Amino acid sequence: MLGLAKSKNFILKAILAITFIYFFWLMLNITLDYVPIASDVSFLMIKQTEVTSRPAYLPIFYIHVYSSIFALLAGFIAVFFDKNLKYLHRFSGRIYVFVTLIFSSLSGIYIGIFANGGWIAKVSFVLLGVFWFCTTYKSYSEIRKKNIVQHKFWMWRSYALAVSAITLRMWKVILVYLFQPNPMDVYQVIAWLGWIPNLLLVEYLIKKQNR
Amino acid sequence: MDSEFVISRIFNQKTKPMKSLNLIFASIILAISVISCKKETKSEEKTKTDSLASKKEMEQEFHKEWYGIYTGDFNSKPIATEYGNEIEEYKKISVKINRITKDSVYGYSVVNGNQRSLRGILNENTLDFVLDEPGSDKSDGRFQLKIKQDSLVGDWSAYNKSDVKSPEKTVKLIRKEFAYNPNFMLSKKSYEESDYENPVDWNGGKVKTESYVTDEGKTETYENTFYRSASDKVFVINASKQKLAEKDLKNLRKLDLQIIRNTVFARHGYSFKKATYRQFFENTDWYVPVSSNVDADLSPLEKENVALLARLEKYAEDHYDTFGR
Repeated sequence: MLGLAKSKNFILKAILAITFIYFFWLMLNITLDYVPIASDVSFLMIKQTEVTSRPAYLPIFYIHVYSSIFALLAGFIAVFFDKNLKYLHRFSGRIYVFVTLIFSSLSGIYIGIFANGGWIAKVSFVLLGVFWFCTTYKSYSEIRKKNIVQHKFWMWRSYALAVSAITLRMWKVILVYLFQPNPMDVYQVIAWLGWIPNLLLVEYLIKKQNR
Repeated sequence: MDSEFVISRIFNQKTKPMKSLNLIFASIILAISVISCKKETKSEEKTKTDSLASKKEMEQEFHKEWYGIYTGDFNSKPIATEYGNEIEEYKKISVKINRITKDSVYGYSVVNGNQRSLRGILNENTLDFVLDEPGSDKSDGRFQLKIKQDSLVGDWSAYNKSDVKSPEKTVKLIRKEFAYNPNFMLSKKSYEESDYENPVDWNGGKVKTESYVTDEGKTETYENTFYRSASDKVFVINASKQKLAEKDLKNLRKLDLQIIRNTVFARHGYSFKKATYRQFFENTDWYVPVSSNVDADLSPLEKENVALLARLEKYAEDHYDTFGR
């Protein structure tokens, strides 16, 4: 019985890892669009108002793009190897916390203030950034106090928010395929759809664990 | 995004019945007509020498009242079929008469962005023009037109009858004044009067195969062609008059951006090479295609807006439906 549960768990983990690798590959390609640094590539093509009028926008945008790809990878490794490979868990975990707190979340809040899609999207992205920072910090302070379970739960929340980078883009593809909405209309929807369901799923998993 | 909007988007996607049977008939008939066509020898006029060109300036001009732009239909000759007469090819043409001297007429023709200089003669007694395209393009030919008040009517025949789809065409032109006016727009009113409330790109249909299950449990598939439709913004946003900003355009889809940008060129009398753009402007009363290149005529404001629109079109094309932002 234990063996069955174990092999089921193994398959689940394998699917999870493969799915992550696929989407991480897509995210890496998006990031590589911004190498070398240019002021008018990809997403920046529709951000020239901010690029030309706010000197801080471009550097902070690039901090977000370049740091977040490491946060995404380090976070996955840390969550994936939470019991075994202690050394790898700690190493990648430290990178995740450092990169997220210092670079990714704060830069995310800044670019969120100037997000496309009007105040509906702006509020979402700023909240997302604030929650990402807070949950990551909370998780970090819990492990400093050796509260492993609370550390784990807060890190799940934190990483669920980090993964919104992927889920938001998935929702975009789905919604555009189904409804062909105008670009900023879909943007307002995915701004929220990118992270709220993630957070709800994680809360459900935490509740299940607590029982 | 309100759901109403999504629904209207879905319904905006038009379906068009397939015309493949007609097309097969038409192409068979065309093939027969091409084969039966006799090869005629070119009756091109010998080009005049350079010394004549300098003399040209001295030459007296006649019938200046006929100078101008004549625009209208350039259709293949009707072919009799068992269903009646069918016209294989519909096109719009503009002919510009620039200069009439004692023994020569100068001008040019524009069809689908292909501008060809014209040179020929006028028979003052019969009011017949014979105008020749240069002959260096495989679609060049000779016009034989009669002038009657404001109209120029006649026909055209290709020099090289085997290389063109329709070697014989009828030409029906009406004189039109071309004047640039930044206020010209596609009109919402005229679209409301038509079957479709918004401009639809009938040229860029995407075929999607869809399936349904019948009562007997069989799965039947059918093909549906989807066409892009533009939003109301194409009747409102004028890139010749207002300085456009990113925020005004971000929420528009590619077709809207394309129409708004190309309306600028249409106002300047640009003759579009792409059928996608021609279809929107050819039915407006203000559009007079007069040139295959109007880049130099654009105002600084228009140039800025066109560059912005082109950038957003590129973004829309690369990123609208892909994994990314």
